[in-house]
Amino acid sequence: MTVTSTRADRSTTPSSAGPLADLLESAGLTGRGGAAFSTATKLRSALAHDADVIVNACDGEVGAAKDAWVVEHHLDELRRGAELLGRRVTVAAHRGTPTARRITAAGLALLEVPHRYVSSEESSLVSLAHGGLARPVTKSVPISLGSKDARGRRMRPTLVLNAETVWRVAQIEALGPDWFRSQGTLDEPGPRLVAVSGAVARPGVVQTSAGVSFEDLVAAAGGFSGRPTAFGIGGLGGGWLTAAEARGATWSGGDLAAYGLRVGPGIVSVLDDTRCPLTHVARTLTYAAGESAGQCGPCMFGVPAVAEDMGRLAAGTADRATLQRLRGRIGLLPGRGACRFPDGVAGYAASALRAFAPEVAAHLAGRCDVEGRARRVR
Amino acid sequence: MNELLWFVSRATGVASITLLTAVLVLGLVTASRRPPQGIRSAVVMGLHRSLALGSVAFLLVHIATAIGETYVSIDLVSAVVPFTSGYERAWVGLGTVAIDLVVAVVATSLLRHRLPERVWRAVHLLAFAFWPIALVHGIALGTTDETLLRAITILCGVVGVAAIGWRLFATSPDAERREAVLVQEWS
Repeated sequence: MTVTSTRADRSTTPSSAGPLADLLESAGLTGRGGAAFSTATKLRSALAHDADVIVNACDGEVGAAKDAWVVEHHLDELRRGAELLGRRVTVAAHRGTPTARRITAAGLALLEVPHRYVSSEESSLVSLAHGGLARPVTKSVPISLGSKDARGRRMRPTLVLNAETVWRVAQIEALGPDWFRSQGTLDEPGPRLVAVSGAVARPGVVQTSAGVSFEDLVAAAGGFSGRPTAFGIGGLGGGWLTAAEARGATWSGGDLAAYGLRVGPGIVSVLDDTRCPLTHVARTLTYAAGESAGQCGPCMFGVPAVAEDMGRLAAGTADRATLQRLRGRIGLLPGRGACRFPDGVAGYAASALRAFAPEVAAHLAGRCDVEGRARRVR
Repeated sequence: MNELLWFVSRATGVASITLLTAVLVLGLVTASRRPPQGIRSAVVMGLHRSLALGSVAFLLVHIATAIGETYVSIDLVSAVVPFTSGYERAWVGLGTVAIDLVVAVVATSLLRHRLPERVWRAVHLLAFAFWPIALVHGIALGTTDETLLRAITILCGVVGVAAIGWRLFATSPDAERREAVLVQEWS
């Protein structure tokens, strides 16, 4: 008998838990927080280790809104889903938000998370729940098996799932995997929430599924409120599609993969022609530079360096050498941090350079065709 | 002959503290917040190790001659067990403590690849206890009339204290950024 199975036998998880994982597997539920990992696989390892449960309702990604929406509209189902997953449940939300107040008012245990981008990352939440700082931790083993914090102390095995994922668990348990699979695509089954923001008439959360056209997504948010130039997909951890590219594509993993993007945490933000995309990207990267947890060199210095170069490009003070340096710096970020924050930022910046290549060329020539309508920026 | 041993013991003692002060300074430089980069760091680290091992030879001669000469009574036991010497029990005892610490630091460094990093580091930090102890031992027992020898020991003290101060108070962009971020709201 292995150690793992001994621990599983000792745990007193609900008897429905094993069958629940099978149910989630046949439904094909994946994490709705962005990583799209199989929820059944994660749940099985969590059950085997009698893991604590953290429901992540932080909406930590730039432009995210769906977790707050789930808490606002489906709190009872969220609670039901969380109770199916484990006995010790905490719901994480940013301090002082309406979401945090709703969680407390419902009598659920609240994990108050500071307003920092990287604080709602899986290992940050677990570190915070153990009395540490809400900063990402190097994962020697998966968080659901129990890892060690920054000081080398053991943290309990913890199952961290996005609020939408937990709500879907409750739905699948109540309505069955067939109902779940009746929506979406074969590869990405099930209903999904998308936060649509930017140049749309009614920004908000749209209930849809993978494979929806961008046209329908925008229509569900009241239609465009200006002339669209680009679609931001997945916030800071995602990237960009031009309006022309979006016209021929659906919001699905298959179509987005062609542009190096994923459906991620369900975020679409529309940029219109009144705003210079490079200025918008530079501002977002400047925000990112201030959100580093100050633990890993590539993040501490690399992300601000990328933001600085992008700022020069947007301001029209960059030359070809700056652009070359920017591309080089972007290439140095991925795979070198305790968390994937620098990877996300690098992908976002690279995607912007790709999608906005004409604007980059114009800015290098000292023009901004979008914002200033051919004003000279230099 | 006895006189020769006495002078050799004095000379190797001063040579040891000089070398070990150099080792201390090099160690502080590599572990500082502004460590040398590239090829320089390899040179500094190599020098730190080589001088440390080299100074052990001087220490061995220093101890052997101190035991060998018969003018004062220092035996083999008091070279290993502190505060057992018949002669200047306290000051010789400090030297013995210093030797024991050096043995611990050198042994753990030679076995570093087989030890947990924390264990090695904890023992290695004993160097900061060893160095002032050895210095006091040297100043207190510097019994020759030769002021140069005592001056060298005192100079070693000044250099070492300056290096430790620099290590404590020097900053780097990396350390500054880490500290600046750490005081932000993270819990």
